[in-house]
Amino acid sequence: MTATVPPPTAHPEPAASRLVMPESRATISPPVLRCDGLVKRFGERLAVDEVGFEIAPGETYGLLGPNGAGKTTTISMICGILRRDAGEVTVAGQRLDPGATKAKGAIGFVPQDLAIYPDLTARENLVFFGRLYGLGGRRLRGRVDALLEVVGLADRAGDRTDQFSGGMKRRLNIAVGLLHEPRLLVLDEPTVGVDPQSRNAILASVEELGSGGMAILYTTHYMEEAERLCHRVGIIDEGRLRAEGTRRELVALVGQRDRVALAASGDLHAGAAAVHALPGVDEATPRDGGLDIIVTEARRILPRLLEAVAGAGVEIRSVEVIEPDLEAVFLHLTGKALRD
Amino acid sequence: MNAAFVIASRNIRQRIRDRSAILFAVVIPLGLATAFSLLIPRGSDFHTAFVVHDGDGGQVAAALVEHLTGPIADDGIADVSIVSSETAALDRLEDGSTSVAILIPAGFSDAVTSGAPTTIRLVGLAEAPIGTQIAQSIVGGFASEVGAVQLAIVTAADWQPGAPLPPIDPQTVAAIQALPSPTRVTDTTLERRQADTTTFYAAAMSIMFVFFTTIHGPLGLLGERRVGTLARLLAAPIAPGSIVLGAALVAFVLGLVSMAVLVVATTMLLGATWGPPLFVAALCLAAVLAAMGISMLVCTFARTDEQAGGWNAMVAITLAILGGAMVPLSGAPELLHQLGRLTPHAWFLEAVDTMSASSTSFADILPAVTVLVAFGVVSGAIALVRAPRFLVAR
Repeated sequence: MTATVPPPTAHPEPAASRLVMPESRATISPPVLRCDGLVKRFGERLAVDEVGFEIAPGETYGLLGPNGAGKTTTISMICGILRRDAGEVTVAGQRLDPGATKAKGAIGFVPQDLAIYPDLTARENLVFFGRLYGLGGRRLRGRVDALLEVVGLADRAGDRTDQFSGGMKRRLNIAVGLLHEPRLLVLDEPTVGVDPQSRNAILASVEELGSGGMAILYTTHYMEEAERLCHRVGIIDEGRLRAEGTRRELVALVGQRDRVALAASGDLHAGAAAVHALPGVDEATPRDGGLDIIVTEARRILPRLLEAVAGAGVEIRSVEVIEPDLEAVFLHLTGKALRD
Repeated sequence: MNAAFVIASRNIRQRIRDRSAILFAVVIPLGLATAFSLLIPRGSDFHTAFVVHDGDGGQVAAALVEHLTGPIADDGIADVSIVSSETAALDRLEDGSTSVAILIPAGFSDAVTSGAPTTIRLVGLAEAPIGTQIAQSIVGGFASEVGAVQLAIVTAADWQPGAPLPPIDPQTVAAIQALPSPTRVTDTTLERRQADTTTFYAAAMSIMFVFFTTIHGPLGLLGERRVGTLARLLAAPIAPGSIVLGAALVAFVLGLVSMAVLVVATTMLLGATWGPPLFVAALCLAAVLAAMGISMLVCTFARTDEQAGGWNAMVAITLAILGGAMVPLSGAPELLHQLGRLTPHAWFLEAVDTMSASSTSFADILPAVTVLVAFGVVSGAIALVRAPRFLVAR
């Protein structure tokens, strides 16, 4: 990730990590979703191989991987759409067995493909799915009205959805998943094929839902979305969960560090010596027109680092912080780029 | 169960909204039934016209005219009209308003009563051989009857060859005719076993097109898969069986409504005579079950709704042809009759034929109803076994 300072990009810092941080959310309160050892074969092909993770209340968990990595198959098993060959899924304390309906009632599912009826109106779509989730009467009407407002379709509620734009359909698609106020919201690549404006609106909605306490499982192959939305990320490739944790934990896991590039003039060697003495600075190298500084965590050290350089008589013209991103982690773990 | 109703009611609303179900369930079958019943006569609906000229005016000639105008006119086989001259009768032939002219010569009654030879002329149109044969048969039957009376009289009068024939007086003839016939022939087969053309084609189109109606149930499921909503249904807190049941309900309701509308419409608009309402209801119910099961089974082999629609149309039309719904099997070879028994259509049409008789009991149509239900149960059960493969979100 490349960012110009100040300020650094806003990023929801991890509250917990099951693998790395002992006092994770998952251990503080019972997880909303617990899946363990999920396996799915299609003939000879092993599509999902021993995948397992947990999601705590209020946590947004990203399943990041390229197309065909096994993300949709994994969430299809979690939502009970696809029969699993092995493994267990527990949602809100209820085991999700074949035919089990109670556990499914705690899940709000937003599939990757639009799953709304084109020849029904927006309201009719919501009412239909609401009834399937056991809503009725005043509560159903209330939820439908509220969600139409939330997704900005209240004035188009009576229009058939085949007259909607792609973004409007996507928003309705998400609204259907939220009708019954699920404890776990599963979003399968909800921004695929969406224009930038609608994409931003969707991401903002997901952020808001997460902050409201809903557990969210979000699959994507867009690294930026995972970094923006997710407290923790599971990296999946060829059906296997390669690693999981917060962004920083994943970066640390593969030994990646931040780089601070200063465009500066003056006594660059003195500046390099001054910052090298700071804790957290691994390397400081003068170069033509500036300094390259390798640090463990740029955001934390940056103010002191700039103060030390300035104190050594160096004039700073610009600062660039280059943080290792999930793309780099993915590349390190799988040997290929995320969008291969 | 509630979920199945929710799914079914939504699906039916969509089908009504897109009008395809109405088109296939009512409009096309009703139109075709009307067209076929007007264009293609069936065996029992033969109709012709005779014209009679009585040039004699005597008692025996009057008896012949009465013989001609009685049963065949009452049964609707022929319209018989009397004209005052031979020329008028032949003019009717010329202008094509009649098929056969029956000309009774002057002196006919006297010749018969005196035992002298006499001739009745039949003039028929070359293009109406059946009408001419019927007229020949009727007049020939009358002549045989007269001959029998003559034989009875000469036998009773102990007549000797070479002696003059005894006179035939009307009282003697009446007395002889009153005697019971030694041989009695009855034919109730046609009366009991064949519906009229209108009813036949109304029934044929109903059973053929009910397959195009019931398919909307399973097609709805394939449509769900195409638009992506099947994944959402499978993720909902409902039993997967509810989804299948919802589709079956759609098929059943649409099929039943289609049948009911066609029975009522063809009865009221075309004059079809289906039979006792309760029997018709039972038969239609069984036919809908059969069509529903077969349609669902066909769909389980298809990958897309377009494919399923095409295959279903192929199956429906093939079964309709084999089952005699397109062309009646009455004149077909025995092999085709046997093949027809393998289709719901043949059983349905046979039951409709059976119900056209004036006295039908439920036992008469029970075999057909049982076979139709069996078609539905067996094909539906196989479809259910295959359902898990079918209920996979793409």
